[in-house]
Amino acid sequence: MNKTFDVIVIGGGITGTATGYYLSKRGLDVLLLEKEFLTSGSTGRCITGIRQQFSTPATIQTAMESVRLFRSMKEELGLDVEWKNSGYLFLAHSGETIEMFKKNIAVQNKFGLDVKLISKEKCKKIVPLLETEGLLGGAWCPSDGQANPFLVVKGYTDGIRRNGGRIETGTEVVKITVEKGRVQSVTTASGDTYITSKILNAAGPWAKDVGKMAGIDLPVEPERHEALITEGVQYTGIPMLVDYRPDGGYFVQRVTGQFIGCFTPEKRDPGRRTKSTLEFLVEMSRRMYRLVPALKNVAVLRQWAGSYSMTPDGSPIVDQTEVEGLYCSVGMSGHGFMLGPALGKFMAQYMTEGTWPVPTEELAYGRSFGEKESMS
Amino acid sequence: MQDKKGEEKIIVCRCEDVTSEEVEAAIDGGITDPEELKRFLHVGMGPCQGRTCGRLISRILSRKTAKPISTIKSISHRPPLVSVPISEFLGEEDE
Repeated sequence: MNKTFDVIVIGGGITGTATGYYLSKRGLDVLLLEKEFLTSGSTGRCITGIRQQFSTPATIQTAMESVRLFRSMKEELGLDVEWKNSGYLFLAHSGETIEMFKKNIAVQNKFGLDVKLISKEKCKKIVPLLETEGLLGGAWCPSDGQANPFLVVKGYTDGIRRNGGRIETGTEVVKITVEKGRVQSVTTASGDTYITSKILNAAGPWAKDVGKMAGIDLPVEPERHEALITEGVQYTGIPMLVDYRPDGGYFVQRVTGQFIGCFTPEKRDPGRRTKSTLEFLVEMSRRMYRLVPALKNVAVLRQWAGSYSMTPDGSPIVDQTEVEGLYCSVGMSGHGFMLGPALGKFMAQYMTEGTWPVPTEELAYGRSFGEKESMS
Repeated sequence: MQDKKGEEKIIVCRCEDVTSEEVEAAIDGGITDPEELKRFLHVGMGPCQGRTCGRLISRILSRKTAKPISTIKSISHRPPLVSVPISEFLGEEDE
């Protein structure tokens, strides 16, 4: 059995599988280790949305590249991942929010994103079922969309195998050996040791623990977010609606006709617990009804929770660390699925050529964590 | 019901229209964890939440992997216990 690999990727979510795919496509011998099953961390718990409406140059450009990759994924991976450019409609119920949208749209337009500020009437035209009381306007980006995270990960992992890479699920990494400041090997819970000169930490909510194995401290903390999904009803193309009120939330109609959504908890809920609460079920149902009253008779099928891996400024950390050969693609802060394909492609370039196609300071390891991503 | 080849189709998951053939093909393709089967095939994720297909999937897995059914994990179940219309949560505001 081959015990030496060009790269070892830790984590079988979108970040690890996308990066692993692009590394294997470049001809590298890739081993991907996942402690449970593929998508078992944050990726399989996300609400499928893909947007480009971010507030900083690096995240906007990365997200735009991601959308290009989602659009062509069927050809690239040979699998229909249920990509649909159903759009994102951010809703403003206060002048302050309108001003924030304007500021962000100016930056987004500079990079060529098809986003614009629209009136309440136009919002209603896009979503005829929308309750517009108190609404002042919205930020509408029709090229944003949605895809099925399970199928995307399946596409990437099938691709890694086709390119000769190896994927081991149910395989937990317990040790990273570093000598003279360089990575040497990875050891799993079952005692296997794999030799490598490059490791990618793509462990999502477990990224901090993996970092510690190599003696580094990553400023990434998991926190719980809850979500729910309804039964499927006729698909009417309701885009991701992002209600910016303090008691808002966001939800989208999946191509299956189901509504999937969540809201940001009022009080941060640190930790990796994934228990669901009745409070969320009740509150989310009310918030969805308030925006789209027609949902009244639609039944909620399922609720669950997952982890956002938060950095202090809400942008990912995608870089090499002070340990040579130890790379990290962590702290996705709730945007791992949407940014994943592009970050995977960029990271693969960085790990092989040492260059990065978009400005990197914003995503650097060891940056000073100043201004927060405002479209969180 | 017959499939394209005119052979008998056995529907395992009625909500999501998944056949035993599709489940077996997925297992042959290396998806042997019930949690992965659930996610990649959507079995057990429809309105009945796996009440019909859950046991059937376990049985197929047991047969295909030659493991006793007692060792096959059942697919995870999420709240609520039964599906609940949103109107149930609107309370007095709705009256």
